[in-house]
Amino acid sequence: MIVDVLHLLHQALFGAVAASGFGVLFNFGWRDLRWCAASGALALTTRTIAQDAGWSLEAATFAAAAAVGCGGRLLRARLGIASNSLAVAGCVPMVPGFFAAQAIFGLFALTAAHPDNPSKLAVTTMEFALRVIFTAGAIGAGLSIVTHILRSPDS
Amino acid sequence: MNIVDSTKVTVPVLLNDPELEQIAMTTLLIGRLLMESGARAEVVHEDCSIVAHGFGADHVDLRSGYASVDITVSRGASTITRTMEVGPHGVDHRLSHALRDLVRRIQQGNLTPSEALAKATGLKRDTPHFAPWLVALAAGIACAAFGRLLGLDWPAFLPVAAAGAIGQAVRQVMLRRGVNVFVIAACMAFLSSNLAGLGASRAGSATVNVAMVASVLMLVPGVPALNAQSDIMEGHPTLGTARGVCVIMLLTFIAIGVLLAQVLLGVQP
Repeated sequence: MIVDVLHLLHQALFGAVAASGFGVLFNFGWRDLRWCAASGALALTTRTIAQDAGWSLEAATFAAAAAVGCGGRLLRARLGIASNSLAVAGCVPMVPGFFAAQAIFGLFALTAAHPDNPSKLAVTTMEFALRVIFTAGAIGAGLSIVTHILRSPDS
Repeated sequence: MNIVDSTKVTVPVLLNDPELEQIAMTTLLIGRLLMESGARAEVVHEDCSIVAHGFGADHVDLRSGYASVDITVSRGASTITRTMEVGPHGVDHRLSHALRDLVRRIQQGNLTPSEALAKATGLKRDTPHFAPWLVALAAGIACAAFGRLLGLDWPAFLPVAAAGAIGQAVRQVMLRRGVNVFVIAACMAFLSSNLAGLGASRAGSATVNVAMVASVLMLVPGVPALNAQSDIMEGHPTLGTARGVCVIMLLTFIAIGVLLAQVLLGVQP
């Protein structure tokens, strides 16, 4: 496996920036924003390493969500009940909003009067839609499985 | 084996139990605020149960819908059922955190129902929020960072950040005016996408298409999408499905806004 360190740093940095930006949007306190950033960086680092290792986007996203969920659990004593929310904030930059938009654009294009190459368009649209479903499912499953396995009474 | 005689009908007894009423309404208010601040259904159910039992209820049943929560609380011979509307679902971590702290205090027996009701009402009013300009700026930067993760080039970075920030500022104004959230999503997507597209093409970007989508990514309902899955997994499929449908609707309105902007600017999706 070859890891492009610069690319990895780039993904971690912008994952951290995106997660802390969403942290402000979700009204996390100042103290928690650094944890949002750490959570986003961990998610994107894990996903990038897994993709570099040849994993599919969905499998890499699942591993990243599980890693962030585990990180939250390990820091539970320090973060208290915020650990779940922080894990979610870290995973938000992996939500496949771009693919969802492309899938909906594809559906619109398919309903046009005379679409160019409708078969190819249908396949591409289906590919985007399935990618949205599986990636979102991977995030939810990664977080939920960790949450339920490492469950504590006040979670 | 005991077989219940279904032909026996118990005569309902109307009991006036003001304290039970207050327990139900306080529990419902906390449940409602938790839902409005983005909590999962399971958290709402667990915390409402803790609150009602903490106040001395013997039995609690809660039903959480997308637009309302219902509760049945029993103590001794008295049983009451109450319902409360739930407002727009948002994400407010500090409010959610403060409410869960309040629930812990109730569990420890430190508060009466009336004190807890007053505190929960106060939390909704007094929970601090970031300044609107800071939220707008953070949303813009988050969009641009998100764009970089999607392959946005550097010339488009600032235009996307600016378009996202302006869009978020307009969104806050429209939310304060009570405009429908789906209409806001479409209008904001159209505005931000246009601004990002124009800015990115002026800046010489080769990723105008990505810029137009990246500028609206703060609208993507990530937390509701994850909550929808959690709710279904944790035994609340009705609420989870309702959340899922709202997520799909919101994505459709966002896509319509971006698509109209792409048509206007002549950019191929």
